[in-house]
Order: sequence, then structure tokens, then C-alpha cells
Amino acid sequence: MGASKGQRLSGMQKQVLSLYKGFLRAARSKPAEERHQIESIVSAEFHRNSKQVDGKNFLYIEYLLRRENPGFPLDEREQPG
Amino acid sequence: MSLRAAVLRHIRLPVQTLPAIGSRPQSQLSFLRLFSSHDDHLTKEEVIDRVLDVVKSFPKVEPSQVTPDVHFQKDLGLDSLDNVEIVMALEEEFKLEIPDKEADKIDSCNLAIEYIYNHPMAG
Repeated sequence: MGASKGQRLSGMQKQVLSLYKGFLRAARSKPAEERHQIESIVSAEFHRNSKQVDGKNFLYIEYLLRRENPGFPLDEREQPG
Repeated sequence: MSLRAAVLRHIRLPVQTLPAIGSRPQSQLSFLRLFSSHDDHLTKEEVIDRVLDVVKSFPKVEPSQVTPDVHFQKDLGLDSLDNVEIVMALEEEFKLEIPDKEADKIDSCNLAIEYIYNHPMAG
């Protein structure tokens, strides 16, 4: 998910970014200190995964997404990137 | 007789005695404010300044590199996660809620400025 991917986002990338956004939006409704903590943790976690997980390892990424979104259909079986 | 006239004949509105305009200076001011449209929309300059400020304040950004033309990922070395954060920071600055479909396209200062300037609700 680095800068080299260019502008076209794969379906999976979009799902990841959408999840990231969801976390940050939810954090907005918390008191300031809690919000800051949530943002730090979520940001660190997502950035860590983006470096450590191979963008082509879509099975693992789907697993991570499904873990956070139990009801998520994840219909798109696109290859990332 | 029309229905409208028949209905109107039967409506009785309570009439209030309103305070005289001059008697309460504050209400007079708020009365006038309703009709003012001067401050409704942001100027382009204001939008540019505030967008640049938001981008410069982003911790991973080098402020001296920020110009109205920069691309967040290509020029400022950010990734797509940071892009999401910047767009959300812009949402907060201008009190907007940007739908995902539009937010996905905003990946440079130019596009951010254009989107916000053209948004009727930007504040």
C-alpha cells in the first residue's frame, strides 16, 4: 500500500482504507485523550501491516479484514495492486 | 368558494405584541443578520491558506515542501493511509463530511482546494 502503487486502488486496498477510515471516524466521538490513543494505535497497526504483509497475500489480508468486519461479504476476489 | 379561501376564513392566528425594534438592540442586530449574505462563501485564498495549513500541520510532512500543487503521495512521500488522514483532517477544518467516493479522488492539494472551494457547505 505504499506510494509505488499509484492512483488506481484495488478492491482490497479500498476495503482496507475504508476500514481505516471507519476506525478514525469512530475515534472522533471519543474524548480527546482517548481519541488520540486510538488514532496512534490504529495508525501504527495499519502501517505495520502495510510493511510486513505482502500485498499479494490476499488470503491473509482478507482474513484480517474479516476479523474486523464479521458480517463483511468480501465478494471481490481481486488481486491487489 | 375555493377550498383555500374557506380554510383561510377559519384559521385564526394568535397575534403577539412584538417588542418595538428599537427597544432591544440585540434582537435588532440579529434581525438584520438574517438578511446578510456577505460572509456566506469562503474566498479561494482563504481555502488555499487553510488547506495548506492543514497539510503542513500533518506530522509526517515537511512544511517547506507544501505548495498548492503538491501531490500527497508522489511529492510529500505519504502513503494511502496518510492520505485518508489528511482528507479527514480537511473534513474537520471545513466542517464537511466528504463521501468516500469523492474522498478517494483527493490526493493532492489542488484537488482538495477545488473540492472544498466548490462545496456549498464549506465553513
